[in-house]
Amino acid sequence: MLGVVYAMVAVGFTLYFGVLDVINFSHADVLTAGAFVSLVAYRGLSAAGIELPFAVLGLMLVAGVAGMAALGMVIAKFFVLPLRYAPPFITLLMTLMIGTAIREAIRLFYPSGSNAQSFPALLPKTAYHWGNLLVREDTLILIATGFAVIVLVSLFINRTRLGLAIRAVAQDGETARIMGIHFEWIVLLVFALGSALAALAGVMNGLYYNEISFSTGLRLGIIGFCAAVVGGLGNMYGAIIGGFLFALLQTLSVVAMPSLSAYKDVFAFAAIILLMVIKPTGLIGEAVSERV
Amino acid sequence: MSDDIVLGCRRLAMRFHGLTALDDLDLDVRRGEMLGLIGPNGSGKTTFFNVVTGIYRASAGEIRFESRDITHSSPQAIYRAGIARTFQRSRLCLPLTIFDNIMIGNHRRLDQGLWFNLFQRGKLRRQFASSWDEARELLMTFNKALGAQLANAAGSVNMIDRRRIEVCRALVGRPKLLLLDEPSAGMTHEETNELMDDILAIRQRIPHLTIVVIEHGMTVIERITDRCIVLNYGRKLCDGTYAEVASNPDVQQAYLGKS
Amino acid sequence: MVAATKAPDRIPAVLAIVALGIFSALLLLLHDRWAPLIVVAAGAIALVVALKTGAAAHAERSFAAHERSMNAVVIAVFLGVLIALGRENFSLLMLCTVLLYGIACLGLNIQLGYCGVMNFAGAAFFGAGSYTAAVLAAHTALPHPLILLAGGLVAGLLGSVLLLPLLRTRGHYAALITVAFGILFRSFLEVNDTLGGPQGLVVPGLNLFGWSLNDPITVGGVTFSFYLNYALFTLLLAIVAFVVARRIERSWIGMNLDAVRIDAVAASTFGLNVPYLKIMAFVVGNIFAGIAGAVFAMMTGFVSPNDFDFSTSLVLIAILVLGGIGNPWGILPAAALVIILPEKLQAIQEYRFLLYSIAVIAILLFRPAGLFPRRLRRFFPVERAS
Repeated sequence: MLGVVYAMVAVGFTLYFGVLDVINFSHADVLTAGAFVSLVAYRGLSAAGIELPFAVLGLMLVAGVAGMAALGMVIAKFFVLPLRYAPPFITLLMTLMIGTAIREAIRLFYPSGSNAQSFPALLPKTAYHWGNLLVREDTLILIATGFAVIVLVSLFINRTRLGLAIRAVAQDGETARIMGIHFEWIVLLVFALGSALAALAGVMNGLYYNEISFSTGLRLGIIGFCAAVVGGLGNMYGAIIGGFLFALLQTLSVVAMPSLSAYKDVFAFAAIILLMVIKPTGLIGEAVSERV
Repeated sequence: MSDDIVLGCRRLAMRFHGLTALDDLDLDVRRGEMLGLIGPNGSGKTTFFNVVTGIYRASAGEIRFESRDITHSSPQAIYRAGIARTFQRSRLCLPLTIFDNIMIGNHRRLDQGLWFNLFQRGKLRRQFASSWDEARELLMTFNKALGAQLANAAGSVNMIDRRRIEVCRALVGRPKLLLLDEPSAGMTHEETNELMDDILAIRQRIPHLTIVVIEHGMTVIERITDRCIVLNYGRKLCDGTYAEVASNPDVQQAYLGKS
Repeated sequence: MVAATKAPDRIPAVLAIVALGIFSALLLLLHDRWAPLIVVAAGAIALVVALKTGAAAHAERSFAAHERSMNAVVIAVFLGVLIALGRENFSLLMLCTVLLYGIACLGLNIQLGYCGVMNFAGAAFFGAGSYTAAVLAAHTALPHPLILLAGGLVAGLLGSVLLLPLLRTRGHYAALITVAFGILFRSFLEVNDTLGGPQGLVVPGLNLFGWSLNDPITVGGVTFSFYLNYALFTLLLAIVAFVVARRIERSWIGMNLDAVRIDAVAASTFGLNVPYLKIMAFVVGNIFAGIAGAVFAMMTGFVSPNDFDFSTSLVLIAILVLGGIGNPWGILPAAALVIILPEKLQAIQEYRFLLYSIAVIAILLFRPAGLFPRRLRRFFPVERAS
């Protein structure tokens, strides 16, 4: 389950990096914002008296996903695109600051935002016994959704014309432009897609843990970025593998050393560094080259 | 390796994920000559420079410089051995001063120690002063007016002056072999002629310097080179004076296609 | 170089520095709710007027043309402000914090502004120095000057261990590591009980060669705040740090660092050892942060994980960007702005991280070179244009 969320975040990072060569540190905070927007939608719907779980869930998702897609496009249009000729560090810093701004805005403007907020349990939590394992129904649903989404995104990128346009821009923005592909729209599209993905991951995260917090983004962002890097930045399958690998490492470290479970992030992270030392461009390899 | 060969390549190959940029290349550069390296686009000329200067790691073959094997040496070691270059796409540090840009090429002749630079400021000042004079003199052999602009940003001068600064950067370290990658790219006829005059002037000033120049303009090649090597698909196609090479039917076909 | 115009004289710059000094002193001395706001508003208006009328540019040229005397004027004015605030505990504490963050930022500037090495864990290295000081001062008899150095060394070592594996890879991998380290440093400290856990550790006061800085000094019947001692010491430290950073910039090493930042491939073809230069910049920068952190710990008497979290690292970066990346002079005013303003305008205290991020975003979009853009390198500037 963890792996699915990590993988989704990682895929998002990969999208941004692949297309614009940009590390988008606001990705994870958009995830949090998406979760909060759908929480607000839920509150609104409850206040309006609508109770049907599927309707509520659906509307929440729409609110979160659409809201974040819009936010993503705003970020792209006003903050990232203007900086595309500046050194990459500037864009990195910019997205980091945007992420911080979003995070702080949530903390400051959402009522008692510093505290974790309870997220409605809208998915059935009945547990099934499968041999020795205890499996919850919502876990299954979420994992299935996560996989489906990842597969869909992958298909979109690799099998559709629009996806082809995205890949063309990722390869060589200038040439793509000459070929008639509208660079700006593609960038906006990618940001919208990535942000929608983030919102979805945020809502899924909230549904599973029944709680969200303004700081969820930071932690998930770091992990997602690690996962994307381990798989090889720009490489979508690598990102997916990276996400699951990270979750695996965390689980392993908790299982192997239960007394040090508080350190699980540190351990998984140290393992990732080791991996990067051995294979600096990631498990599958980075999709970049520089003209000399 | 005979004494008059300064750079020799045997069976040099460079492959990138299925693309063969250099293919079984045998090439010799003779001491003190001005060698032209020509060929159609994509024939591997810049790749050859990149492999020689250590930016790419050769897939196969060997490169010897002054009878020393540099096939797998780092770019830094190759620089120290005495090979300097310019780049096809002008690679100056535009936000830095012209002086800074030139001095970057002087790395091996300047004292780079931490102690020297932080605590022996008097000595540093002297080294700075003599370097300043040297840079100014070098620049002025190309363009009298440029010498006065040492303290300005490299980004503040025009294209041809930037190329001159690049050449100065390559020369200031007193290399034995100079590699010029399309120095006249993007220039008008007049500017190209000016630049070629500059290059010939270098040869006058530093007679023992060996120069390999990649160029596309045939009049340029004819004018300044002693000898030419034609590359095609990463292999040596032909070797001789410009006249010999230009009249070679294989060369004509490579450039113009079957007539 | 032809000097067709007369070199600008010193007065505009001196006036500007003195004005800034008076502004800061006033801001810090006034304690009620509205006076600081009025002072800030007045200051902002004066700044806009200065920028529009070109007076600011004039002062800047004047400043650049007379470096040595300007350095002296700045120190003198700063000392004046310190004495004027001699009995204000909290204001002096703030000024010390400004100076110490400033030293850390000088280090960060070497990494980022000169060499282009991204470090999002500045506060973690600062904290490493603090915790080193805490542990060594409380549990060993090591003389304090050595403890300060040890703080720097631990930070430097930590940095080199972190970055060594990644030097052959591209910049964003190293950035990732520092972001992660910045975030995880605090969690690591919180779960670690031997280092005090979330409650932190108590740290003894600084004692240099017999001078106990925690004892207030009395001159002519006036007893000053003991923070004045720390302020004087940190001012000295800041001057040393500034000189070192300046010398690095104005040397072949500084030139090489810039070359690595701007074009590492070209740099390597001219013999520059790119990994060595990056590590050197990173380690030196972290040593600055570590020493500053050690002093911070002993001054506040207390270390806790909360002081060294990711947000603080972002604040350090914000200071650099605001002041002007690559320009050591921009650091002091930017640090003062970032640290003092939220304290004085209580209304914005809670919102300060949001405001910092918005300010940085604005700078990046509209004035990426910062408030005080970096100037071209002059190896050995003279008093007059020659």
